[in-house]
Amino acid sequence: MIEVQDLHKQLGSQAVLRGVDLAVRRGETCVVLGRSGCGKSVLLKHLIGLFRPTRGMVFIEGEEISQLPERKLLEVRRKVGMLFQSAALFDSMTVEQNIAFPLREQGIRDSKTLRERVHEALEMVDLAGAEKKLPEKLSGGMRKRVGLARTIVGRPRCILYDEPTTGLDPITTDSINHLIRRLQKRLTVTSVVVTHDMKTAFHCADSVVFLHEGKVYFQGSVAELQASDDPVIADFILGRSGDTD
Amino acid sequence: MIRFAGRTALSFIIYLGEVAVLMRDTLLALLRGRVRWGLMLTQIAEMGFRSQIVVTVTGAFTGAVFAAQTFFQFSRLGMESAVGSVVSVSMFRELGPVLAGLMVAGRVGAAIAAELGTMKVTEQIDALRALGVQPVEYLVVPRAIALMLSMPLLVAECVGLSLVAGWLVGTKVLGISEAYFITNMQHYTDGNDIAWALSKGFVFGVIIVFVSCYEGLNAREGAVGVGRAPTEAVVRCSLTILVLNFFLSFALNILFPTS
Repeated sequence: MIEVQDLHKQLGSQAVLRGVDLAVRRGETCVVLGRSGCGKSVLLKHLIGLFRPTRGMVFIEGEEISQLPERKLLEVRRKVGMLFQSAALFDSMTVEQNIAFPLREQGIRDSKTLRERVHEALEMVDLAGAEKKLPEKLSGGMRKRVGLARTIVGRPRCILYDEPTTGLDPITTDSINHLIRRLQKRLTVTSVVVTHDMKTAFHCADSVVFLHEGKVYFQGSVAELQASDDPVIADFILGRSGDTD
Repeated sequence: MIRFAGRTALSFIIYLGEVAVLMRDTLLALLRGRVRWGLMLTQIAEMGFRSQIVVTVTGAFTGAVFAAQTFFQFSRLGMESAVGSVVSVSMFRELGPVLAGLMVAGRVGAAIAAELGTMKVTEQIDALRALGVQPVEYLVVPRAIALMLSMPLLVAECVGLSLVAGWLVGTKVLGISEAYFITNMQHYTDGNDIAWALSKGFVFGVIIVFVSCYEGLNAREGAVGVGRAPTEAVVRCSLTILVLNFFLSFALNILFPTS
């Protein structure tokens, strides 16, 4: 479903990605781990064409997208949904308008159909009844849920999650983790989750990729990750910085 | 020193090129017929309709004080009757478009840059792209059409109110003969002056919308970045309007010569 070959990305003077190779099978949830600033979000944005690689290729359902013109990319983006780190809700629109937005862009104008699809998406993220609220009135967890509802309402075949639990309390984090898993089962979508939250990784992952210094340092299952005695991975899992008081 | 001058010139050329690319993308979207009429009407209300107070108050008081000052100077030469024509020609050709442009740059340009800048740093523009929508089509095209339509009308209002205020001050306060005031105004003002004012309004509208959209879409991360975008937009729009007005006057004098 998703394949990345020898992906390089230079941002200014910094080489953020230095030859990333990655493959995610259809229906699988792949969690991308790594320290802050290691290029996880940059990698994710390449998968939906928001960034163009300096070198390398990105395939979505067999189609190479890294050199597609913006207009062709718009079609690819209808197959791939993305939940942004800040949820990126349109703050001038209500929850209902936010979720209906991608449907309207697809040309659906019938208000009954729109209402039903919005309600269905909100039910999936356990937020039914919040249609008329404005984003500014929502908590961090609710914003992420609305962002997720907006992502799934267009029925994408793949969902990309950028730090879905960052800034949330442990209970809300757990609830979002369950939601990611539940959506994957219910919608049978392929998912790529970028996070540095180990609980999210252990809960959601079918496979794990660990990015370090712009490259894939580890790729395997959760069990293999946990069993790894590599000091870089072990320090990350246990949250050891090596600093002393 | 030479390196600094070269770098400044180069960054200015790059800036102009990037604004030109934004204009090209907008034009292409327009040619493809990708206009969101609902959004455009909202922007006309926001940018055009709601700018009327600022523009008309500016026009009225400028017209009033201009008439008064012209009277004070001309009365020493016994030329009070020329006040109407001087106010009229000046307001149509120079002051009306420039003042309206500066006021709209302050009000609308800052708002556009702040709104788009906030959308940029909160990933809303990336979200638009991720949802299959081109930001230029959704954000720039409606604003561009709205301001290009609104700006000439705002200039017309500004000039219109300035003439009314000038007439009131000249004839009712300073005692200039109403007949002379109106006759001279009509005699020295024609369709070319109106075309001149509307053309400048249109060009200034283009500058305000594209410079402001560019600053917003290229805002840097953080509060400083979002704060700087409207400041840069207003400063650049204002300076461009003032400088371009000089060259535009020469060009328009060829297109719409003084009769």
